[in-house]
Amino acid sequence: MASAPQPKYLRVIDLGACIGCGACEAVCDFLHDGRPFIKVYRTSLGLDIPLSCFHCSKAPCVEVCPTGAMTRDQSGAVYVEKSKCIGCLACLYACPFSIPELEPVLKVSSKCDLCKPLREMGLTPGCVSMCPAGAILYGEEALVYEAGKKRIAESMAKARFEALR
Amino acid sequence: MDFMNFAFLCRSKPASRNLRVAVIGAGPAGLAATGYLVCRGFEVDVFDKQPLPGGMTVFAIPPWRIPKQRVLEGVKRLEEVFGVRFYTRTKVFAGEVRHEEGDSLVEKSVPLEQVVNDYHAVLISTGTWESKIPRLPGVGSEGVVSALDYLYRVRVFELGFTASPPPRSRRAVVIGGGYSAIDAAEQASRMGADATIVYRRTVREAPAGVYEVERVKREGVDFVELASPVEVVAENGRAKGVRFQRMRLGPPDESGRPQPVPVEGADFVLEADLVIFATGEAPTPPVSRSEDVLRKLGLSLKKDGSVSVNKIYQTSNPKVFAAGDVVTGPSRVGPAVRSGLYAGRFVENWLETQLVKAPLTAR
Ligand SMILES: Cc1cc2nc3c(=O)[nH]c(=O)nc-3n(C[C@H](O)[C@H](O)[C@H](O)COP(=O)(O)OP(=O)(O)OC[C@H]3O[C@@H](n4cnc5c(N)ncnc54)[C@H](O)[C@@H]3O)c2cc1C
Repeated sequence: MASAPQPKYLRVIDLGACIGCGACEAVCDFLHDGRPFIKVYRTSLGLDIPLSCFHCSKAPCVEVCPTGAMTRDQSGAVYVEKSKCIGCLACLYACPFSIPELEPVLKVSSKCDLCKPLREMGLTPGCVSMCPAGAILYGEEALVYEAGKKRIAESMAKARFEALR
Repeated sequence: MDFMNFAFLCRSKPASRNLRVAVIGAGPAGLAATGYLVCRGFEVDVFDKQPLPGGMTVFAIPPWRIPKQRVLEGVKRLEEVFGVRFYTRTKVFAGEVRHEEGDSLVEKSVPLEQVVNDYHAVLISTGTWESKIPRLPGVGSEGVVSALDYLYRVRVFELGFTASPPPRSRRAVVIGGGYSAIDAAEQASRMGADATIVYRRTVREAPAGVYEVERVKREGVDFVELASPVEVVAENGRAKGVRFQRMRLGPPDESGRPQPVPVEGADFVLEADLVIFATGEAPTPPVSRSEDVLRKLGLSLKKDGSVSVNKIYQTSNPKVFAAGDVVTGPSRVGPAVRSGLYAGRFVENWLETQLVKAPLTAR
C-alpha cells in the first residue's frame, strides 16, 4: 500500500528580518557538539549573514554523490547517510553554496539535516525555535511561501502608509 | 512559529527529577538555560529584577529589531507548559545592594545566599546593567544619559510600566560606534530628534558595521567620525552641547584596530539637548565587590566585574554556575544563548555526578 506523499517542508531565512545575532548558530553548535551547520558570517560590509544548507529541490550534491549517501528524507531535507559516505566531498565541489564539510572523526560529509532527531519527535529545527527575530521561516512548503509573501505585503503596506504624510 | 521556543528539545514537561535549579537573570542566557533544563526534568525558578523576563531583548533592544512578543510568548510557554516559575521585580543580591541601571521597578530584594541555600544548583546570568560613561566635565548635567538607560526608559514607557515618558529631544548627540549607539540614535530620531552619532574612529572600525551606519544615515541620522568628546557643555545644569576633539587614526592598539589620536588644536561643539553615551556596559553580578561577601559565597570576580568561571561555566562555588554577558562582558544574543545552553548542560552533568556521590538535599 503506497502511503500518501508527505508534505514537503521548507526552511527560508528572511534576511530582511535577520539581525545577525547568532542565536541560530548558538543552538546548532550546542546540538552538534561544537560544530554548527548554520553559521553567521560577518561580511566586509559589517552585515552578518547566516548560511546553511538550502535543501535544494534539485540538489547537485545528491546528484553527484557516487554512493547515494547524500540523500533526501520524506520531508524533503537533504542529509547524509553516514554509513554510505566515503568522504570524497564530491558534494562540496557540486554545491554552489559551499555547504558540506568533512566530519573530522568519521571522515564523512556532514551538513544540516534540519534537525532530523528533533523533527522525528514532532519538534522544529533548533535554529527556527530560537531565532529571536522570527527570521527563519519553517513549515510545509505552501505555508512558508504564504508567510513570506504576507511579510512582503505588510512591508509594502507600511511603505505606502508612511508615504501618506 | 510566532514565539521563541526556549524548550526546543521537548514537547511537554518530562517526569520531574525533583531537583531545583534557580536561574538569576532572565535574558537570552538565562532563558536558554531554563528551556534546556526543563526539558531535562529539572524544576526551574527564575528571578529577574524587571517586571517581565526577556532581559535586553525586551528592555533595551528596540522592537523593530526583536519583536518583544516573540520573547514574551516564549516565556509564557515556559510558564504554562513547563511549569517554570518567574519571580519578577525581584533583585537578587549578596552584600550591600548596589544601585544599577534598570532598578527602578524592583519591588523585592532576595539575598543571593538564600537562593544558593534553597536550590540544588544556581545559574547567574545577570548581564551587563551598568553603563560606562567617561568622567568628563559636565557629564552629571541634566540631559546626559547612557544608551542603556535611555532605551530602557523608552521600553518601560512603551510597555506601560511607568507614566513618566522618556526624555524628549530636539537635537540628540549619541557617542559610540556599537549597536547601542545605532539603536539609541534611531530611537531618538524616530521620536522626532535630529540625531547625530559621533564615533572616535571611522565607520570602518565601528563595531556596528558599515551597513548599520549607512542604514541609519538613510533614516536621517548623521554620522560624524573621528571625534572624541572632551566636555559636555551645560547651562544652569542642563546639557546644551558637547565639545569634541578631532581625532585621526594612528598605529594599531592592543585590539588591533588603529588607535584614534588627537589632532592638536582641532575641536568643535555640537549643540544637543540630549547627550547619550553608548560607550559600553560592564558586568553586573548579583553580589557586592566586598572581599568578605565574595569569600563567604565562594565566588570571585575579575577586574572588569565579570564572574570568574571554569571551562564548565562553574564558579569557585561548585553549585553556582554563570553564563551570558555577566561572564563575557557585552556580547550579543547568540553568544549569550550559546553559553546559557552549555551551562544548562553542565549544571545537569554536575547534579548527576552529585547524585552518584550522595542523595542531594536542598539546605
Ligand atoms: C541597546 C542595546 C542593543 C543591542 N542590540 C543587539 C542586537 O541588535 N543584536 C544582538 O545580538 N545583541 C544586541 N545587544 C546585546 C544583547 O542584548 C546582549 O548581548 C544579551 O541580551 C545578553 O544576554 P544575557 O542573558 O547575558 O543578559 P541580559 O539580556 O542583560 O539579561 C540579564 C537579566 O538579568 C536581570 N538582572 C540583572 N541583575 C539582576 C539581579 N541582581 N537580580 C535579578 N535579576 C537581575 C536583568 O533584569 C536582565 O533581565 C544589544 C544590547 C544593548 C544594550
